[in-house]
Amino acid sequence: MNQTLITLKNINKVNPESINSYYDYNGFKAFNRAKALMPKEIIDIVEDSGLRGRGGAGFPTGLKMKFTYEAKSKDGKKYLVCNADEGEPGTFKDRQIMEKDPFRLLEGMIIASYAIGANKAYIYIRGEYYLSIKRLKNAIEQCYHAGILGEEAFPNGESLDIEIRKGAGSYLCGEELTLLESLEGKRGHPRIKPPFPAQQGLFKSPTLVNNVETLATIPSIIRFGHSWYKNYGVENSAGTKIFNLSGDINNPGSYEYEFGVSLREMIYEVGGGIPNGKKFKAALLGGAAGTFVDESMLDLSLDYDSVKKVNATLGSGAIIVLDDSRDMKDFLRNILEFFKHESCGKCTPCRVGTKRILEMNEKLMNGVENKEQIVNQMQKEAKMMFDTSLCPLGQSPIMPLDSAVKYFKNELI
Amino acid sequence: MSNKVKINIDGKEIEAIEGANLLQTALDNGIEIPNLCYHKKLSPTGACRLCLVKLNDEDKMTTSCSTKITEGLKVKAFDDDLEDHRKMLLEYYLAEHNEEYDGSHEDELLELTKRYGLEKLENREVHFVDKVEFPLKDVSSSVLTYDATKCIKCYRCVKACDEVQGKGVLSMTERGITTSVLAGDGIWGESECDGCGECVQLCPTGALVEKSYQDELKIDKIDRKVKTTCPYCGVGCQMEMWVQDEKIMRVTGVEGVMPNDGRMCVKGRFGYHYVQSGDRLTSPLIRKNGEFVEASWDEALDLIANKFKDIKKKHGSKAFAGYASAKCTNEDNYIFQRFIRQVLGINNLDNCARLCHASTVAASQMALGGGAGSNSIEHYAQADLIYVTGNNIIETHPVTATYLKEGKAAGAKVIVVDPKYTKLVRYADIWLQPKIGTDVALLNGLIHVILRDNLIDLKFIKNRIEDGEEAVQRLAKVADKYTPEVVESITNVKAEDIETAAFMYANAKKPMVATGMGMSQEVTGVNNVLSLINMALITGGSGIKGAGINPPRGQNNVQGVSDVGGLAGTYPGYQSVADETVREKIAKVWNVEKEDLNPKPGHTAVEIMQKAHEGEIKAMYIMGENPLISDPHLSHVEEAMEKLDFLVVQDIFMNDTSVYADVILPAASFAEKNGTFTNSDRRVNRVRKVIDSPGKAKDDWRIVVEIAERMGVKFPDYKSESEIFDELASITPQYAGISWERIEHEGLQWPCPTKDHPGTSDMFLDKYGTESGLAKIFPVEHVEQEERASEKYPLILNTGRLLYHYHTATMSRRSDTLTEFVNEAFIELNDIDAVKLDIKEGDKVKVSSPRGEIETNAKISDEVAEGEVFMPWHFNESKVNYLVRDELDPTSKIPAYKLTAVRVDKI
Repeated sequence: MNQTLITLKNINKVNPESINSYYDYNGFKAFNRAKALMPKEIIDIVEDSGLRGRGGAGFPTGLKMKFTYEAKSKDGKKYLVCNADEGEPGTFKDRQIMEKDPFRLLEGMIIASYAIGANKAYIYIRGEYYLSIKRLKNAIEQCYHAGILGEEAFPNGESLDIEIRKGAGSYLCGEELTLLESLEGKRGHPRIKPPFPAQQGLFKSPTLVNNVETLATIPSIIRFGHSWYKNYGVENSAGTKIFNLSGDINNPGSYEYEFGVSLREMIYEVGGGIPNGKKFKAALLGGAAGTFVDESMLDLSLDYDSVKKVNATLGSGAIIVLDDSRDMKDFLRNILEFFKHESCGKCTPCRVGTKRILEMNEKLMNGVENKEQIVNQMQKEAKMMFDTSLCPLGQSPIMPLDSAVKYFKNELI
Repeated sequence: MSNKVKINIDGKEIEAIEGANLLQTALDNGIEIPNLCYHKKLSPTGACRLCLVKLNDEDKMTTSCSTKITEGLKVKAFDDDLEDHRKMLLEYYLAEHNEEYDGSHEDELLELTKRYGLEKLENREVHFVDKVEFPLKDVSSSVLTYDATKCIKCYRCVKACDEVQGKGVLSMTERGITTSVLAGDGIWGESECDGCGECVQLCPTGALVEKSYQDELKIDKIDRKVKTTCPYCGVGCQMEMWVQDEKIMRVTGVEGVMPNDGRMCVKGRFGYHYVQSGDRLTSPLIRKNGEFVEASWDEALDLIANKFKDIKKKHGSKAFAGYASAKCTNEDNYIFQRFIRQVLGINNLDNCARLCHASTVAASQMALGGGAGSNSIEHYAQADLIYVTGNNIIETHPVTATYLKEGKAAGAKVIVVDPKYTKLVRYADIWLQPKIGTDVALLNGLIHVILRDNLIDLKFIKNRIEDGEEAVQRLAKVADKYTPEVVESITNVKAEDIETAAFMYANAKKPMVATGMGMSQEVTGVNNVLSLINMALITGGSGIKGAGINPPRGQNNVQGVSDVGGLAGTYPGYQSVADETVREKIAKVWNVEKEDLNPKPGHTAVEIMQKAHEGEIKAMYIMGENPLISDPHLSHVEEAMEKLDFLVVQDIFMNDTSVYADVILPAASFAEKNGTFTNSDRRVNRVRKVIDSPGKAKDDWRIVVEIAERMGVKFPDYKSESEIFDELASITPQYAGISWERIEHEGLQWPCPTKDHPGTSDMFLDKYGTESGLAKIFPVEHVEQEERASEKYPLILNTGRLLYHYHTATMSRRSDTLTEFVNEAFIELNDIDAVKLDIKEGDKVKVSSPRGEIETNAKISDEVAEGEVFMPWHFNESKVNYLVRDELDPTSKIPAYKLTAVRVDKI
């Protein structure tokens, strides 16, 4: 089953260390087209294309751009921030782009910066992504050298600078408000929302925060137009998505497919099925902050609306596959340990709740008697966490937990 | 922002202010939404999640602390859903919390635990399997302890340190369940924490508790909390003193009341121990055969009255002098000056204002027609430029500095002018470091740039300055030669920095200037301040709301003692003793003949000592002052004291001055008396009796009244100090509208001429206090100082104060909490000079000037410039004023504490 390559089109073809090679693959043609457009026209194209944020939340990208574009800045500054702090377990799509086609990301950032009126853009990148950092640094340097970045980068004579900032290993810093806090040099703690970044983001100025995949998709949309892009995918889920297959699967990896591809296709055709003669048991969609599905969901169409209908999520596009030898309680413990470890400690429900739920899961594993009661209590507290937590981290445990209970309750109690 | 709108909380319609905080509005209306991390002084944190509400019929829960009020907002503050969640959140807290309660602090979590019926373990459904491991209790700080097991991670301490005090010492460490508070690198006592205790005040659970009396104090045994005014510097912080078993065991700042809104500094909050020190004077003492022996009040007062009568008979009134006290109340000082004037018949009367801001007052009187600060302390927070000159404000007026730092955080530019590095430099946009004694040159340089580049405010000049543009022309003539290059050669300040600072200042719309001892304590003190005023006037940086020139005052009531007539030349309200109509008015109130009041201005502080030395003054009455540390040229002062026929010292402790006394009278401390203090921004604040005086100690004013009576002068039969206040208000135009009743809750700022006048936050808004109502420009020239470095005395000595000590340290050194920070003198030397002199850190050194020599320890730093040295003057084992000369500024009679040629030798 062939991929539909839009965002990953140049992967393994273009030389990621050479701007000339990028030019050979139509590099910066989109930006050239963008230069002929008014910022508002660019935003309209992105909005009309139906592109949605690929970091996990799926918020319409054009709308976010529009909010930032329209927001008034007290100090006259606006920022673009590329969220490259790819930390969701089972997710490695952004890395692919940054390592193998860094210029594409930069081109997307330049177009977006021009559209919203930012003269400064940051790439907040996961610190362990050594090769990505190296390649991006090199790409940025070459762009400065070529006069694409720096003084008079934009047709209106305005400048654009791009800087890389490394994260220090906190999952939470991938959450956009926490990311901004960290970018300002502060402890990685979430901010109260509102205000949203589009109104008051980095250093209190309007800021557009977008995921790598989202930004790297923009050049194609600008180059070929919104209707072209809309041809791909399904209703409300335009275009393609990079899915990351991992776990008990024969061909793990990054694959770009149109929205609407089924889970079965992803696992059996793209992923080559379950290794070692084992059977499919479950898939965790969207990473740790995602949802389990079982084999009854294999024909689920992977698009925003369809997964939502069954209370599942696409999240970042991670698909972690579990074969029938996996113990749900054990797997759940892994996820819950992750949340406990990554909780920043700022708000009480998350700080205490992540430890609480993990402890209750331990009880389940230790074979206590009143398991059903414990599972109910876990769900009750996870719901309280969902209702009351300050940021998405504390709101997340309910997702794997409730879905695990929904499909695998017998195994838990 | 003050738009009134209607909102609805749980069916109750409430009128609220648009944009206001929803949680605060609810609380103000008696709707007790539970909360722990919120504090109205801090930005919303959203950590505890207890204040969640539902807005506009949505199911989604939103923190009310972070919700701004909008018209028609519909709020569900209580329903089962919300309450269930709150209950569980409280259980979450309890699961990670050490619930042992020692009763030494208030505990908001405990209150909520009771409210939600969660005291009993069986009522809880949440219990941890594994206890959380926290670091051990940190007891390394001198002022507080931090117990992470009691900490609820509400961030109030972190934000108190950052947002309120502008210090940023605290942060969170670790993450998730093991999060706790960190001071500096980890050990509180080794961090940059200066001990202000704002964090202790805002801690809701007793994770942070004051160290003193931690084991003794029990909240339920506190008999009373008495609101009063801090006895340390001139900020006038409002505080509550907590009393248990007649012992003061804690001090907290009063929230929501100006000037401090709960803020305090290390001295005010933790330095109260001196009040109940065992060293307090508890009985009158009379010198008999060279020894002080205890005496009854009758014996002591009769002796004084008789001696005073004898001396008056023999030598006349001119043989007397009195020192009023910047530490005593307005009422004490009013009675004291009335005594000196009415009973002793002389105006030889002064107070330590003469030694600190006399020149500032004189210059401001000349140019602006009013000597006090023109704005309010909190205005620093709203200024767009803050110019601090010769003022180590973070150490000497710590709470004023918090507003200043707030202003900086809100975007104000900060210019620091100081020959010595101060902590404020870290907040500065530019630091000008002039050589000591070159302020006029520097200011003329700034004025030169302002005039050269036409950065003036022409409208202001035309409308508000006498002779308008012509006056500016006269100034220009003087300033013309002070080009930045010339000024650089005089001051050592780079020409480009002069340009930058001039533009910064002149372009500001609301410049707040804080001028300190570095400007005033010079023989050119008046000229320094005149020059500063010149700069403010030509740029329109005066006479506007929230901007102007302000001298933060060093002592709790140094403003008040001068206001109520503790000065050689003026009656209460700065009314000249030479003015006949004034004398007539006063005579009526004092029930004497006009002719009985001496029309001749008296000698000022240092002059009094000189006259005593010459033998003209034979007897002195010193109330709450310690000139044997604080006056210049101490050996001369000692000789003067020896020469006196009779000396009465009235104080709360034995001190370096009382050693020379013939009679020592034990006075009540501020915590034992009722009255008022007037702070730096002219705010008259109440002082309230907290405890009884020890032994036979008495209110200062009562002692004075009794001496008067024994000398045959009957003062009115004051039923309370408020009657004294009413009398002083009746002759003091600035205080005329003030009464104790009006300042019961919050102080009033003078001028307050009538009973319905709201007090004056900003001076000179419409007109200046001069005869013409216009400000005056007095162009001044830089002059080379007579005192200068020589081969024999190659270094210039600067003196000043430290955060942890106060004045002559008789109070601050009696608090172990404060002495644990600093308890000895030192001389700060530049590292280059230190190498030249072969002096190392900690070396014992001899510091000498033509007037004397003292010993101290060397401190090597780059905080002073090459060729300059610095010494604090608090410490009586290294009295720096032995070295300082008693040459005076000719107009204001302030001595030149800031410039002494010395040599430093290793011992």
